[in-house]
Amino acid sequence: MIDQPAQTGGPPRDAGAPSPDPRQVSELYRMAAVGRLTASVIHEINTPIGSIRSNNEVLVRSLETLVRLLREAIEKGTPPTQKAIEILETLSSLGSVDKIACERISAVIRGLKTFVRVNEDQIRKTDLNALLKDTLKLAGCEYRRRIQLVEEYGELPEVECFPHLLNQVFLNLLVNAGQAIEGEGTVTVRTRTEDGWAQVSISDTGKGILPEHRDRIFKAGFTTKPVGEGTGLGLAITREIVVDTHRGSITFDSEAGVGTTFHVRIPILHPRKRI
Amino acid sequence: MANNAKPAVMIVDDEDMVITSIRAFLRLETEYQIYGFTLPEEAAQFLETHPLEVVVSDYLMPKMNGLDLLAKAKLCQPEAARVLLTGHADKQSAIHAINDVGLYQYLEKPWDNQQLLLVIQSAIERTTLLRSLKEKIAALDTAHSSLKDIQAKLLRAFL
Repeated sequence: MIDQPAQTGGPPRDAGAPSPDPRQVSELYRMAAVGRLTASVIHEINTPIGSIRSNNEVLVRSLETLVRLLREAIEKGTPPTQKAIEILETLSSLGSVDKIACERISAVIRGLKTFVRVNEDQIRKTDLNALLKDTLKLAGCEYRRRIQLVEEYGELPEVECFPHLLNQVFLNLLVNAGQAIEGEGTVTVRTRTEDGWAQVSISDTGKGILPEHRDRIFKAGFTTKPVGEGTGLGLAITREIVVDTHRGSITFDSEAGVGTTFHVRIPILHPRKRI
Repeated sequence: MANNAKPAVMIVDDEDMVITSIRAFLRLETEYQIYGFTLPEEAAQFLETHPLEVVVSDYLMPKMNGLDLLAKAKLCQPEAARVLLTGHADKQSAIHAINDVGLYQYLEKPWDNQQLLLVIQSAIERTTLLRSLKEKIAALDTAHSSLKDIQAKLLRAFL
């Protein structure tokens, strides 16, 4: 399993409650995060499925009509009517709709697959840009067209990390970014490398983090979201994955009314290997 | 709808594919005049000037959600039947839609074409009936007030 460092400076917990295994908490949280996305994912998939289903029915009926029109044309010895051409044109437009619809479904499924991949306890060399793109596909279900997405990927070498855990970190930050924005706004994702570190920055044009909340946001149990929406665990687990598990760092800049940017820095070579 | 005009159906969905699919289906099965919109705000504008029989709208859309659009439709053209077609299986929005927007039907994605067609057909029938009822009430009103006029004239003439 994950190499757990000594819990110095680990996330504070309720003094009275027994300390659960942080890995279990993290895993439960991960599943809960996917669960919360389910409604948006269903919506994202139901639309293309509806289209494909409808198109299929139209296709079958159109072909029946075409057969009839062609038979009539042959019997009468006249060329087929204009109607036949119209039907063929409709069918070809439905063909391209089906293709787009299938691509949409596949993209969402790809995002889900990388996310729910069973706990891998091995460090893998990972293309963080590709991982981010998959995660964005999931977060995008939640954003719909309310939020504009700007992606600025720098060149990154493969990073030694636990991909499913970083997936969780990014999804968490992306969902938070979306929730920080009331109405319409922009979420920007940037990646770059610097002196052996890969840096991923996620910015939103949301309401910002209040100054009095800033030193508490990474603490377990702290949330400003309504009951049922926020667990108060997201950023605590995010911090744990980044700092404790990957020996990276997470910082943020925030200005009320302007937005917030989270910077996640992960060492390109996992420190454990350098011993 | 004038007596000989084709029934007008509006389809609003931010996904072009939905409009393309439904349009292809309705063209195949019916003679309806179909107006498709991917931008709800444009649909809202169109509603102000074009009488329609049915408005079918998606729920989750940018800028303006389906309920706001249908509320607007209710305001502009109260007789036009309002149908919500949503992939967002959310009970709360359904309840809100039925209570506040006076929804004619609530359909879920993925939709069934035959069911959609039945809903649209009966919605058109209902709208047509409502409109002719409204016309008849107006005609009755006119008849009633002209009768009153005549009555007043008669009273004046005899008293």
